[in-house]
Amino acid sequence: MSNNYFNTLPLREQLEQLAKCRFMDISEFPDGVEALKGKKIVVIGCGAQGLAQGMNLRDSGCDVSYTLRQAAIDEKRQSWKSATENGFTVGTYEELIPTADVVLNLTPDKQHTAVVNAIMPLMKQGACLSYSHGFNIVEEGMKIRDDLTVIMVAPKCPGSEVRNEYVRGFGVPTLIAVHEDNDPKGEGLALAKAYAVGTGGHKAGVLMSSFIAEVKSDLMGEQTILCGMLQTGSLLCFDKMIEEGIDAGYASKLIQYGWETITEALKYGGVTNMLDRLSNPAKIKCFDLAEELKQIMRPLYNKHQDDIINGTFSRVMMEDWANDDVNLLGWRAETAETAFEKTPAGDVEISEQEYFDNGILMVAMVKAGVELAFETMTAAGIIADSAYYESLHETPLIANTIARKKLYEMNATISDTAEYGCYLYNHACLPLLADFMKDIKTDVIGKGLKLDDLGVDNARLIEVNAELRAHPVEAIGTVLRGHMADMKKIV
Amino acid sequence: MTLSHPIRFDDLTVNFDDRFQLNHINWQIEPQQHWVITGTNGAGKSALAAVLTGAGDIVSGTLDGIAPSAGITPRVGLVSFEAQAVLIETERKKDDADIMDVISEGTPVYEILFEDCQDIALAKELADKFDLTKLLDRSFRKLSTGESRKVMLIRALASKPDLLVLDEPFDGLDTHSLAMLQAHLQTLIKTVPMVMVLNRFDEFPEFITHIAYIDQGQLQLQVQRDDATAFDELYKLLHLKTTDLTVPAPDPDTQTPALNPGEPLVRLTDLTIKYDDKKIIDRLNWTVEPNQHWQLSGPNGSGKTGLLSIINGDHPQCYVNDIFVFGFKRGSGESIWQIKQFIGYVSTALQWEYKGTTGLRNVILSGFHDSNGLYTRCTDRQKTIANEWLALLGMSDRGDEIFSKLSYGDQRLLLIARAMVKHPPLLILDEPCLGLDDMNRQMVLALIEKICAGSGISVIYVNHHPEDKIKGIENYISLG
Repeated sequence: MSNNYFNTLPLREQLEQLAKCRFMDISEFPDGVEALKGKKIVVIGCGAQGLAQGMNLRDSGCDVSYTLRQAAIDEKRQSWKSATENGFTVGTYEELIPTADVVLNLTPDKQHTAVVNAIMPLMKQGACLSYSHGFNIVEEGMKIRDDLTVIMVAPKCPGSEVRNEYVRGFGVPTLIAVHEDNDPKGEGLALAKAYAVGTGGHKAGVLMSSFIAEVKSDLMGEQTILCGMLQTGSLLCFDKMIEEGIDAGYASKLIQYGWETITEALKYGGVTNMLDRLSNPAKIKCFDLAEELKQIMRPLYNKHQDDIINGTFSRVMMEDWANDDVNLLGWRAETAETAFEKTPAGDVEISEQEYFDNGILMVAMVKAGVELAFETMTAAGIIADSAYYESLHETPLIANTIARKKLYEMNATISDTAEYGCYLYNHACLPLLADFMKDIKTDVIGKGLKLDDLGVDNARLIEVNAELRAHPVEAIGTVLRGHMADMKKIV
Repeated sequence: MTLSHPIRFDDLTVNFDDRFQLNHINWQIEPQQHWVITGTNGAGKSALAAVLTGAGDIVSGTLDGIAPSAGITPRVGLVSFEAQAVLIETERKKDDADIMDVISEGTPVYEILFEDCQDIALAKELADKFDLTKLLDRSFRKLSTGESRKVMLIRALASKPDLLVLDEPFDGLDTHSLAMLQAHLQTLIKTVPMVMVLNRFDEFPEFITHIAYIDQGQLQLQVQRDDATAFDELYKLLHLKTTDLTVPAPDPDTQTPALNPGEPLVRLTDLTIKYDDKKIIDRLNWTVEPNQHWQLSGPNGSGKTGLLSIINGDHPQCYVNDIFVFGFKRGSGESIWQIKQFIGYVSTALQWEYKGTTGLRNVILSGFHDSNGLYTRCTDRQKTIANEWLALLGMSDRGDEIFSKLSYGDQRLLLIARAMVKHPPLLILDEPCLGLDDMNRQMVLALIEKICAGSGISVIYVNHHPEDKIKGIENYISLG
């Protein structure tokens, strides 16, 4: 079984690696893709992320080809079709890996060990191996040949968006890192930067991080606020509305599109702006609910972070991998059978504002989840920039996938690792919130507050507004969104 | 009497001494309506107005309501530059006819005004108001242009007309006279239908009920004054058509690299595009030289858009074909941004993709970076250029409006400006008129024509409709 790399490091170094994260200015990329010019890039895997990155790199002037397993080529699988239809050379590992100067490993986490073991002997002396997620290195302790440079370039968006944003002339925020144990020629950073330019990431913002910070924060964000909280929230809110006699089609629609609508406000102006969309009485109500939720859920967030930091999470998940994914597949099937999943969104008009007004509890859940995830990550030594990206920044992306096709599709879109963590969270969180949900009525989910008078106590409102704005995720969010707005989208 | 029945043009074609022809005019003027005829210079505005006074030779079709019927001939009061010229010319000839061997003073103003006058009292009143009383004894031909215009106006107004045809009646009038005339016209609106030719929208009197837009001898559009949207669009169209357009200059700081003038812009050798095993384009050879304009046509699915996106670098199969564009062989280490900088591109697909909340000025500015949305800071110079383009489109005060909230036609105009802002060597227009109504089509074509007339730009133009021809295109390629 694997050997957790993080756990082999002394505490001092663990903390140093966890705290690595720096927002890079666009002026730090004057060389463009120069470091990759004339180099042969071979991509392993041609899923959405692999295809998008390869197309972007080629359009930036790089030499890109794809390598697939013999079986995928022989059977002309979708990955083979995608690559060839788009005019790329496709070959087996044996044919292409030995010619590669840079190998991009864009296969699913689960396959990393097998893939890397297969290609490492074939790789050229002194070549570069790139990951887009550090799980294999950090959690599985994969040891890479000493002469190879190991980097990570991780666009923080799904493949389709990576491609679309590039074509628009922009990019998506991207995290880069160099595995310091494997940087024999000291060229890792230059290669990672050029790669980020080649995919357009430098225009949207690049975070210089470490393999460890990326893995520990990514896992935490995806299984708690991003996927876990939205899944648990969807199920609880739906069942409550049905119990209270709200029309099922309305309830289904309010949740399916509600996450997307309210997190859109989150994306533009943080938690503060999301709550500012509510009336004053509703805002105070929402704030109080979120405080209660945070208190109930904090131990769960701590447990997730602890299990991630000490390697328990990955160990347990890998046991399931070894057991033919029995847990994962079982939980996936369960999700498909939930009442929310099986009730189609009704043909009713819900205005943008109504999603806020009638979804106060949903707003409270997002607030509680974002703040808890952020607080837990930073308490574990992850720097605020990183914690922001892995919590608040990515929540709208997951909300978008729920809007497209609900939970089952959301879980199918995210990585198996995220999905596994999401189910763990969901199973623990549902019973945890059972008592809390007993007191919930349609005033906070389904119908909105029935108010003849929007009056509130001044002192209370001032207190709530001040607390909202004083949260550390708001401080770092203002800075990072400011960076983004500076160089991007004048929207 | 006043007009009791409509004047009806039914598929009327009228020839004017072979100098000009109005074609297939269908038009109806109801007794209570007041029309403005508008259009560009030489479009046929005055000719159409003149038909109402019996000018021209009818080639085909019919004109009812003007010709004598049941013994009554409707009286048409006419004011126009042409009629004024005729009168002045007549006077000049009288002067030449010096058979009496005396110096002719010409016809005095009072004679011109009051002879055959239907309403002497009104004529006198108007002459007084127009400040002509002291000129009554003067020879008509010695009047200034403005003064003789006033004489024409009084003659028309005092003729008890059944219909007033006023071709640029306000031209050359001082402010006082203008106000006076407008006030007088206002008193006639219940009794006399009017047809005016006016170039300037701001001169349209309040009482105008309809606008006819004429172009190249054809009545292209008829718009009701109270249809605010259509009226606004017509305004922009005329602005485009009638203003002496100069395309704003390029930005000197973001010039594209110089191209080798001896090389073609685009050279495709045996281009083949296929999906699965179906070949959409099979071994096509095509070269576009600098300053050549091309029209590309072919049925749906014949690969037109595919071909264009190969050139523009958006089609992945550009890497498996022998493609030479702007000095680059594709797949030799160039980036798509190095290709796109030479191309301005407009297509319906681009318009669909151009969603989001970009402001109009920023849409134009995004053309400097070939991006969909604006992600790069722009210089003050570039912003000035974008403002010049907005002015050209008649959208000066709308730079901060949101693109997605614009009408379809306005969006198209902006995307053309976006494509043009950097003065690209190659402008690709993929069915630029698709989905546009008549008005917007006219606007888009007008803008493109202005652009094509400039130098240094090659145009590839895709369209299906022969009537949407653009002047100056001389090369044709057809697919499928």
